[in-house]
Amino acid sequence: MNIGVIDYGASNLHSVGNGLTALGKTFTVITRPEELVGVDKVILPGVGAAGSAMEKLKKSGFADVLPTLKIPVLGVCLGLQLMTEFSEEDEVECLSILPGRVKRFRTELKVPHMGWNTVNLVKKSPLTDGVPEGAYFYFVHSYYLETEAQYVLGKTSYDADFPAVVQKGNFYGTQFHPEKSGQWGMKILDNFCTLC
Amino acid sequence: MLVIPAIDIIGGECVRLTKGEFRSKKVYASDPVVVAKDFERQGAKLIHIVDLDGAKTGVAANKELLLKIAKSVSTPLQVGGGIRDAALAREFLNAGVARVVIGTKAQTETAMLTSLIKEYGSARIVVALEIKGGKLAVEGWQKTLDTDGVDFAKKMKALGITEILCTDVERDGTMTEPNYEFVRSLADMSFNVVASGGISDMKALTTLKGIGLFGAVVGKAIYEGTIDIKKAMDALKPASHLTKRIIPCLDVKDGKVVKGVSFVDLQVVGDPVALGEKYSEEGADELVFLDISASKEGRETIFDIAAAVAKQVFIPFTVGGGISSIEQIRRLLQLGADKISLNTAAVQNPDLISDAARAFGQQCVVVAIDAKKKDGTYKVFLKGGSEETPLEVVAWAREAEKRGAGEILLTSMDKDGTKDGYDIELLQKVSDAVNIPIIASGGAGTLEHMRAALAEGKADAALVASLFHYGEHTVAEAKEFLSARGIPIRV
Repeated sequence: MNIGVIDYGASNLHSVGNGLTALGKTFTVITRPEELVGVDKVILPGVGAAGSAMEKLKKSGFADVLPTLKIPVLGVCLGLQLMTEFSEEDEVECLSILPGRVKRFRTELKVPHMGWNTVNLVKKSPLTDGVPEGAYFYFVHSYYLETEAQYVLGKTSYDADFPAVVQKGNFYGTQFHPEKSGQWGMKILDNFCTLC
Repeated sequence: MLVIPAIDIIGGECVRLTKGEFRSKKVYASDPVVVAKDFERQGAKLIHIVDLDGAKTGVAANKELLLKIAKSVSTPLQVGGGIRDAALAREFLNAGVARVVIGTKAQTETAMLTSLIKEYGSARIVVALEIKGGKLAVEGWQKTLDTDGVDFAKKMKALGITEILCTDVERDGTMTEPNYEFVRSLADMSFNVVASGGISDMKALTTLKGIGLFGAVVGKAIYEGTIDIKKAMDALKPASHLTKRIIPCLDVKDGKVVKGVSFVDLQVVGDPVALGEKYSEEGADELVFLDISASKEGRETIFDIAAAVAKQVFIPFTVGGGISSIEQIRRLLQLGADKISLNTAAVQNPDLISDAARAFGQQCVVVAIDAKKKDGTYKVFLKGGSEETPLEVVAWAREAEKRGAGEILLTSMDKDGTKDGYDIELLQKVSDAVNIPIIASGGAGTLEHMRAALAEGKADAALVASLFHYGEHTVAEAKEFLSARGIPIRV
């Protein structure tokens, strides 16, 4: 099993890598689509802004290749947001893997939504296998996605409800950071590597 | 979403019209100042005031009255009606009006809009989109233009407008229901939309909130008593399960965790990675490592610690102490730190905050403030509390937020190491002044002190050192205690 972690300048790349190593998984950091050969699963990490991230994914050629992949792909935080059609952040067209768009929180609550919040699991999936209902995960984001209910595996509430875990076929995503969410975050990373 | 009560003024009196027709005028109160004060008392966070004489004639007949209201209440005001030139807009904005609404002339005076945005920021310049059958209505809604509302909004977007006040003229004052489809189309264009017209009950407010609007102007429904401002705001109060955070703090000197009273008399309490792992297992929500090494060689060890912690601890952690350059920040983040904390360097070079936020995102920039009360005011201190600055704590916290700080780590130098409890007054002052999370630090001696900091002090997180390091309490005990007392905690 070889997990490819896409390097497009997101600063949590190494944290995801540390998480995989701690789980005993091997991973390769890949910077060009050609390096996807021999990779069994892909993680698209994400800390940063949508505009520059899409620019880098386009430049490296990943933007064309990612939507066509048949192997399991996990988008984390911004990595998940980039899977939608459009992001309000920098008003940028995204990968259009998932229907829907990314919106900014319009709330009197503090933005970014930062800290530990619960996930309400609404649909079964190998990704969330063994994770208890209402488990806490670590979030850091100012934007959230809107997509069709059929793709939502888990929801979180911050003024409004937003999708925290999604799946469409072989594409998975979490709005929280599994690599920073302690026990249950590591469980989700492990599930992605072994069950998805 | 804000519930925004409206005051419409004709001839100095507070009135309501139906569908914008002047002959339908109903006078509700003779003194709009009294009405504004009443809205303020009921807890309104923004009050919408329209000079209807101005809207109709283009002459701001009630200007002095509007300025008087601005002086009489501290609630932010959104003012419109007859603002057709930049000079009048500036006069209102300079007098403390939070937002000016530009109507009729907006479509032709684009240079005015762009220069106002440049001078005051887009959040204070609101473009009124008044719709009658999908077309723009102008001049107090007496006329309709052959301009499509959505096309007009696109033009405004291109100019840099972010705030739209959308009024459906055919529904205004009718107490029916708002034009949900049209405001949704504006919200989908990423505008901060305030809806107005036909909002008569809680159902309408709830639906508008669901669409993701910035606010809703309520007029007749408040005057007629079908919507109560306070009740509406309570009902729409944002719900969140986001928890307060418990953060063990590890002061690191030459690679070892130490603890002392008011930054002196340091004692070694353990190995950073082992302690970090232990706290993480006990349920700590985050960790903070503050490097207090004096020597250059000592300071180098923090990079090794960051790398080692990142490999073994899978909760977020912050590294601080002596960080003064973008290169150091990049190195720490690449090694696996989630946030970096800036203290002295941020005061000496505030651009470092903005540069770091731009390069790595606001979420990873923590600004640490060491505060000490001097002659009744809180002052910012540097270099571990040894150097006084002329900076006032609240003003500096605001400045840090403006520059892109994602969090404030607020340490009371008076309380640090005393175990007397956090400085609640200091926490409240800063919490009320900024809209980013506050981490309370300095003075935790009991679990009750932590509760007080998170409840009365309104802090988002509590930083704890000796209480945990000396084994008086475990993180798990602290969380159980707080959770049992109604503090939202991850247990």
